Amino acid sequence: MIVDVTGGSLAAKLFNGLVKLDDHLNVVPDIAYAWEMQDSGTTYIFRLSEGVFFYNNREVISSDFKYSFKRVLDTKTASPNTWILEKIRGAKEFMNGEAEDISGIEIIDDYTLAIELDHPFAPFLNLLTMTAASVVPREKVELRGTAFGTHPAGTGPFILKEWNHHDRIILEKNESYFGSGPEVDGIVYRIIPEDLTAVTEFELGNLDVITIPSYEYARYRDSKKWKNQISSIRGLNTYYLGFNCSKRPFNNRRIRRAVAYAIDRTKILETFYENRGRPARGPIPDILRNWEPPDELTYDPERAMRIIKEEDMTGRTVNFYISADQEVIDMAEIIQFYLIRIGLNVKIIQLEWSAFKEALNKGEADIFWLSWWADYADPENFLYPLFHSSNHGASGNRTRYKNKKVDQLIEEGQRAVMPSERNRSYMMAEKIITQEAPWVSFWHKTDFTIRQPYIKNYKIFPVYSMDKGVDISF
Amino acid sequence: MKAYILKKLLLLVPMLFGITFITFTFTKALPGDPVYTLVGERTSPEIIEKVRARIGEDKGILHQYFGYISLLLKGEMGRSYYTNRDVMDDLIQKFPNTLRLAAGAMIIATPFGVLLGFICAIKKNSASDKIISGLSLTGLSVPVFWSGLVLMLLFSLKLNLLPPSGTGNIRYLILPSITLALPALATLVRVTRVSVLDVLNMPFIRTAKSKGIRKTHLNSIHILKNALIPVITVFGLEFGSYLNGAVLTETIFGWDGIGRFAMEGIIKRDYPVIMGCILAGTIIFVMINLLVDIFYHVIDPRVRVHGTDR
Repeated sequence: MIVDVTGGSLAAKLFNGLVKLDDHLNVVPDIAYAWEMQDSGTTYIFRLSEGVFFYNNREVISSDFKYSFKRVLDTKTASPNTWILEKIRGAKEFMNGEAEDISGIEIIDDYTLAIELDHPFAPFLNLLTMTAASVVPREKVELRGTAFGTHPAGTGPFILKEWNHHDRIILEKNESYFGSGPEVDGIVYRIIPEDLTAVTEFELGNLDVITIPSYEYARYRDSKKWKNQISSIRGLNTYYLGFNCSKRPFNNRRIRRAVAYAIDRTKILETFYENRGRPARGPIPDILRNWEPPDELTYDPERAMRIIKEEDMTGRTVNFYISADQEVIDMAEIIQFYLIRIGLNVKIIQLEWSAFKEALNKGEADIFWLSWWADYADPENFLYPLFHSSNHGASGNRTRYKNKKVDQLIEEGQRAVMPSERNRSYMMAEKIITQEAPWVSFWHKTDFTIRQPYIKNYKIFPVYSMDKGVDISF
Repeated sequence: MKAYILKKLLLLVPMLFGITFITFTFTKALPGDPVYTLVGERTSPEIIEKVRARIGEDKGILHQYFGYISLLLKGEMGRSYYTNRDVMDDLIQKFPNTLRLAAGAMIIATPFGVLLGFICAIKKNSASDKIISGLSLTGLSVPVFWSGLVLMLLFSLKLNLLPPSGTGNIRYLILPSITLALPALATLVRVTRVSVLDVLNMPFIRTAKSKGIRKTHLNSIHILKNALIPVITVFGLEFGSYLNGAVLTETIFGWDGIGRFAMEGIIKRDYPVIMGCILAGTIIFVMINLLVDIFYHVIDPRVRVHGTDR
């Protein structure tokens, strides 16, 4: 049932899947030590390691994976993560109640599992790295029922020892973990709602690692004591200014482009954002792009002003929706300033998160500020959910952008087995998107954490599911 | 007295129904949809509808309301949409923390507030009156998110005397209690001052003075006791509101109380949590008011409660 980053990073420490991502974002063995693709990418045969045990010392066999996948797809579970597995043959029929079983999952023997898809789907292995595709112990799930979510247990390097809601979560080392186990005896997550309180706890030595709040970044970066204790990772995310492409005025490509020309994104990144990110050349993060970045719509206020005049938009009011976060509010005021300069009147509408998302899902905003964070390390994760017309609205495509050519290119990329073909499709899709500008890509945020000097081998990961907590030591 | 208490308790039942109806309709009227927070980003409309059905959000508002009432009549408060935990269990677990914090704050605020207010009144217009009154105005004006952080920086970060956050023993309780006590203390100083000044102008004080009663006896029995009625009212109001949770103080100090629980419920539109917190809050408030009424009678027997002692 987990749909958030914090929940996902905890689940990664308690569970394992068939495959996982390595430090270079390659898909590598987890419980499956090997796999092969057959039938031009429609069938995957996974070979499971022997001697992988659940927390209760029962060995994991291939039927456990089948049970776990069925559990996610079962309508009774009402899991929001069905999309991860719905490409498996028979999944849709199973979800609709037309079939008792998922025909595409075949248990060949206790340690061999075959998964057949409806059609070749290149990101499939990457999807299996997500924590929702982890193996769960049937006996515990059936015992706990819906309370399994608050009493999770799996095969992971850690076991949940205590979960004191609103206070702390304590994980304990799993001594019988099948992989190279953790160096530490356990991990305590403290739940501290106020950033400044977390900083105080850290500076007193009560916390070993914290995420650096944005307003503390410059202080730590310039501090002799702390600057060498900062870790950073180029995050798999894109921050953007989105347009509502389904209604006037931003159903007009020229006006969207005018807004892109109007804003000096490099300057904002360097000054306001203190270079805590890399400039975004398109929606796909630089580390996932294996091709030349598309041509950008660079800063050109005169051109922007000319278009606004020609389109008779001067003095017109646009509603700019943002979530109630101080950094976002500051950001919105900067964007407002640039847009006023080209003649637009910008009304900022600030809503708290739940109301903000509802407004976007209903298509109420003209423009909005949002970001997208990767669930898995594939460029497709930044194209299909965000720009494919089937995801229009609440499913991710909040700009309500529709372009048949882009749909077709994304689908081609998904089905292409050869990486070169895939990259070509994605490259072309990204090029069209950047020129059509359903959103203006701003930057890919870099994540920063800070640790105490006694912490060794600390690593920070671009995708939450990668952090198994096994490297860190004292 | 017994009849009065019984009547108050019986009145609680229709009041709770009224409160549930008002809060239920108002919370549902707020913008924001819990389903979107529950499903994350990539969910299909069909799954969204299934999740909506699972939490009962697909039904009409009246249907939902009566569903909630029938749950209450069974003695249940429902489960959180997000954690799937029983709301009543969570409230029972968090209430002692909130009670400790509220009691801590009132233990600090009440004696100091009453004493300082009393000094201000009997030394009216003196330097000490002006200083204390000025400070109490400051105490009222300073927001707790500021005073809390200042106390934390001073006593935790600089002096390393007390832990900055967490829910635990008395060491964890001191800073949030002081933070929460400051505005209550300031209010009590001002109310006590005005109330004592009123009493000082009454004829019976002149009579008592002319009888040559000892000063300490005069101050404690004649003045303070008579001035306490409004002070108790303020005490009840402050204590009652703190028992409903102190959102900011609990957030700053990471205190696991009802205020934070309610706030998180509101942000996520976790309706069972919001309703549970409001209901618990109403019951607590009514109980505190009842206790205050009884206390009036104890302090000053002339104060009669309706339906008794006539």
